[in-house]
Amino acid sequence: MGSYDVIFYILSIVSLGAALGVIFFPSPIYSALMLAITMSGLAAMFFTLEAYFLAGVQLIVYAGAVVVLFVMVLMLFDLRKESQPFSGQKISNFFKAGIIAAASMALIIPLSTVFFIRTEKTKPVTTVDLAGTLFTKYVFAFEAIGILLLVVLVGALALAKSRGGTHE
Amino acid sequence: MGADKVEIAINTVKIAIIFLMMIQMVPLLVWLERRGSAFIQNRFGPNRVGPLGLMQLLADAVKFITKEQFVPANAVKFLFLAAPVIALVPAALAFAAIPLATPIHIDPFHLLGQSWGPYTIEMQSVRMNVGIIYILGVSSLGAYGLLIAGWASGNKYSLLGAIRASAQMISYELALGLAIVGILMIYGTFDLNKMIEMQQGPFSFQFMGQAYEISWLPNWGIFFQPLGALLFFIATFAESNRLPFDLPESEGELVAGFHTEYGGFKMLMFFMGEYGHMMVGAGLVTTFYLGGFQSPFVWQTYDYMLNLAIAHHGPGTVASALTTGYFLIWFSIKVGLLLWVFIWVRWTLPRFRYDTLMDLGWKTLLPWTLGNVALTAIVLYWARAM
Repeated sequence: MGSYDVIFYILSIVSLGAALGVIFFPSPIYSALMLAITMSGLAAMFFTLEAYFLAGVQLIVYAGAVVVLFVMVLMLFDLRKESQPFSGQKISNFFKAGIIAAASMALIIPLSTVFFIRTEKTKPVTTVDLAGTLFTKYVFAFEAIGILLLVVLVGALALAKSRGGTHE
Repeated sequence: MGADKVEIAINTVKIAIIFLMMIQMVPLLVWLERRGSAFIQNRFGPNRVGPLGLMQLLADAVKFITKEQFVPANAVKFLFLAAPVIALVPAALAFAAIPLATPIHIDPFHLLGQSWGPYTIEMQSVRMNVGIIYILGVSSLGAYGLLIAGWASGNKYSLLGAIRASAQMISYELALGLAIVGILMIYGTFDLNKMIEMQQGPFSFQFMGQAYEISWLPNWGIFFQPLGALLFFIATFAESNRLPFDLPESEGELVAGFHTEYGGFKMLMFFMGEYGHMMVGAGLVTTFYLGGFQSPFVWQTYDYMLNLAIAHHGPGTVASALTTGYFLIWFSIKVGLLLWVFIWVRWTLPRFRYDTLMDLGWKTLLPWTLGNVALTAIVLYWARAM
């Protein structure tokens, strides 16, 4: 087990723990902050795999922008803290699901350490390669996603305007 | 980190020194800010403690540490205490990727009966091929510290300041990122070290199939991208929450914004975060547009300086270290001048109103940066195609 493996396991524990925290924290703010830690952990993992561009984009887009917006909106709405993460009848079902998930994890993790996880480095993909593929081979899909995002943006604006809002 | 124990030890010490250098700049900058503001406003400033009031820094540090640690009753204690640390981390992480000088080459040597080396020690904490992406990524986490501080204080003014801060940072990050695109297109790399290498020597470019060269002008990015440099510099002001963009604090309306409830050392850590962002901003402007650690005298290239040092001290570690020191001085001078501009602007311009701030970000800076990208693309295509 080399030093990269040690870092990989630390990062996995942090990311998985934070991901569980997203679900189990009763306070929505803590959940959102945990989501930010999960995203940063994933970015750090990409970093150790020398996928620097992906790591950076993961940080900028998810941890730096999307989750910041989540946190900001949650803080604005001042949601009340729930007394417990799950309530009523559902708890037993969720508990069962949790036990099944934990059991399968307990199986998968030891197996995957033996068979699947390869933390050694592959040939690093440069940004130039990435941009080349994006703007030649997948240019149609790229543009289509751009149009989709534009439609979402216009739709969100239209929805926000129809209720009146704070500006006229 | 390194191939053997000595290299790992050197690199660890180096990382610690770079971090401490950054932290130690903060009291000096506070002093410069107070004396500078006094100079601008025709006052004296702190001049009682020690020569030029320099010992005031130590007195302040002692005061900050010995103040009562206070947590308001309404606050969320854990997040309230964590926020100053979170605010400090992104700036420190971002500073780690900025190249400070040329690498030092250490010749093989004997120590404790073993032979070690040769080593090449980079003068930056981490060298990576996508430095810019990394810096943008970690500095985009800066919003969390302010948001958490504002919310966890349990105070309306703090919350309003925090929400202003995060909205402002997200808005200006767009302009910041797009302002760099122009310079990226010219250099064609994300690597800060390569970028600095390309800015070496006299100002030269190709246009319409002919090569031009101006022998007395350095080959710096600001001559290729004057508009990009200006837009980037403005966006860094907004990112570090300095006047005229200090809406998150705006003591007139919000007491002190997100750090209303903070005092003592916790307050100082927010200060360090702010000054850290300033230093990262100044370092990036230097790296992108002012030739990084290169000397402004075009004949003083790396090879020239190294040969000069070798002529006086012979080839080896000393010559390499002297060259590195020379370039480190130029980097410090450039960053110092830019930091002075930060302070100068703060005590010259008044604060924006909130809607004018958003207008500037979204309706002025964003179109101008996009226009700069388009213009650069057209000129590059035109100039390189013919």
